[in-house]
Amino acid sequence: MISLARVSKSYNFGDGNTIDVLSDINLEITKGEFIGILGASGSGKSTLMYIMGLLDIPTSGSLYLNAKDTKTFSDQELSIARNKFIGFVFQQFNLIENLSAFDNVVLPALYSKEPMDFDPKERGARLLEKFGLLPRALFHPNRLSGGEQQRVAIARALMMNPKIILADEPTGNLDSRNGEEIFRILADLNRSEKVSVVVVTHNKSFAKKTNRQIFLKDGRIVKHL
Amino acid sequence: MKSSYLYFLIKVSLENLRRNKLRSFLTSLGILIGVFSVVILLALGLGLKKYIQNQFESLGSNLIIVFPGQVIGRGGLRQAPGISPVRFDEKDVKNLQRGFPKNLIVPVFTKTISISYLNKTETSDAVGTTGDFFTVRNLEPDVGVLFSGKVTLRSKKIVLGPKIAEKLFADPTSGLGKYIKIAGERYQVISVLKKKGGLAFGGPDIDSFSYLPFKGSSLNPDEKFLALYVKANSSEETGPLKENIQKIILERYKKDDFSVVEQTEILNAISQIFGVLNTILIGIGFISLLVGGVGIMNIMYASVRERIKEIGIKRAVGATKADILIQFLAESIAVSVLGGSLGLLMAFIVVLVIRQFFPATISLVSAGISLGVSLLIGIFFGVFPARRAARIPPIEAIRYE
Repeated sequence: MISLARVSKSYNFGDGNTIDVLSDINLEITKGEFIGILGASGSGKSTLMYIMGLLDIPTSGSLYLNAKDTKTFSDQELSIARNKFIGFVFQQFNLIENLSAFDNVVLPALYSKEPMDFDPKERGARLLEKFGLLPRALFHPNRLSGGEQQRVAIARALMMNPKIILADEPTGNLDSRNGEEIFRILADLNRSEKVSVVVVTHNKSFAKKTNRQIFLKDGRIVKHL
Repeated sequence: MKSSYLYFLIKVSLENLRRNKLRSFLTSLGILIGVFSVVILLALGLGLKKYIQNQFESLGSNLIIVFPGQVIGRGGLRQAPGISPVRFDEKDVKNLQRGFPKNLIVPVFTKTISISYLNKTETSDAVGTTGDFFTVRNLEPDVGVLFSGKVTLRSKKIVLGPKIAEKLFADPTSGLGKYIKIAGERYQVISVLKKKGGLAFGGPDIDSFSYLPFKGSSLNPDEKFLALYVKANSSEETGPLKENIQKIILERYKKDDFSVVEQTEILNAISQIFGVLNTILIGIGFISLLVGGVGIMNIMYASVRERIKEIGIKRAVGATKADILIQFLAESIAVSVLGGSLGLLMAFIVVLVIRQFFPATISLVSAGISLGVSLLIGIFFGVFPARRAARIPPIEAIRYE
């Protein structure tokens, strides 16, 4: 579904000052996988997530989405691919403050450039109900707890029936109880909806619950479990 | 565009306006002032034109006036008749009467005088003329009778406009038959005229005029006239009549020493002057709109800076560059149109008040143009910040803290 072939990412700060964040990454993610990405701070985990999520582009190498090289994608095609195939869950929740929980959830549907085989409002309500948030549908994010906000973010990530969910430290801003709850939701989704889930985490006990663990160090994959 | 997308755009734009009420209001203030001033100036300009037209019509139509000097030139009024050294006399009147026996020929001289009654003294513009003046100018008595024919032309009688009569006698009609003094001479008030409504904005106030038989006073000792009025019997007659008047006057004066003008020409000349003035003022109003537009652009740039993270989130869930551009553009249009609508509303309220004493009118066209211009300003000044927002790379936006 998503494969990375010799992907490297470096940042050039001028005066020949270049930092290599990712080097020569080869990785294949297939349908229904539950993958944990582990590594110390600065090891390139988030950069890898953003490249897989088509938010960033590699300096060299290729990322294939359904066997298509995304290098050939226009900005619009990248946006459409993000909208159709990928759901993001961030550490900081990243909900839009001036939209209600419901509007945040249905937001991806508004940007869909293709006809949808579901009613966005109905699906939005169903997703909120699934995560026990329907009574708070009209609340703005500042009136929701951290755990609730992250559940809204997961509902938003699921809005377009994505093939893969990319979660960047989804439990990083939550207490252990809420963290476990969020991780359980992601695992359930992987099991019941057959959606691939890639989770960046520091938490080894959470990582153990995934099917495959990838360890990054200094921008390289150093271990595959 | 999907209706849900449009609804979302409007909803989010209005929500952002609501969240920053004061900032939105202050940003739209420039547009508000611009639209308000343009609409008010157009309303006053239209009203003034209508008012002058009404005044001229009420003062008699199909009128041709012979002035000394060149009164009307290219671009409007040229020279005040009083400046010319030429003055008409009774011979000119007789020549015109001989040439046009079927038309009323009315000689006129004017002078500012002081009128005294008991211990009150008031200033008035006196018109020395014949009784036919009242006919050609559509002036009717409220009380008394107007002077007419040769019988009273040498008599010391006076007809007062209602305002000057009111100033002298408190109750204007009570002045009938009373004697007033002008430059030491006694004149009897034989009539007080009905109200006409004076020209505003420094123009002559017709109701404050007084009227004397032109031979009856020492105010015009050499019996010279400032103007000669010739009344055409129909509007079709005015053109040929004007040409013939010119021929007769040319027998005694040079071409540049006099002007023969129709009332409509004076009206057009005045309208032209007000037109130029109005255009300048509206131009100033548009400058205010442009300044307002720059204000919107400034705030929208600030808004883009403040909402980089939001742009990143939207790009992450699938918003294209165009979606981001449209969102910011919609917000700048919302601010601009809000200002325009408030400005229009304020102009409507002010015009409603002004209408109590002046026929100011807001035309649908000027209202439509104002809203259209504020929409265009929202688009023009919003597109640059919106483009900047759309061009922020998704990775920079999502990582922005």
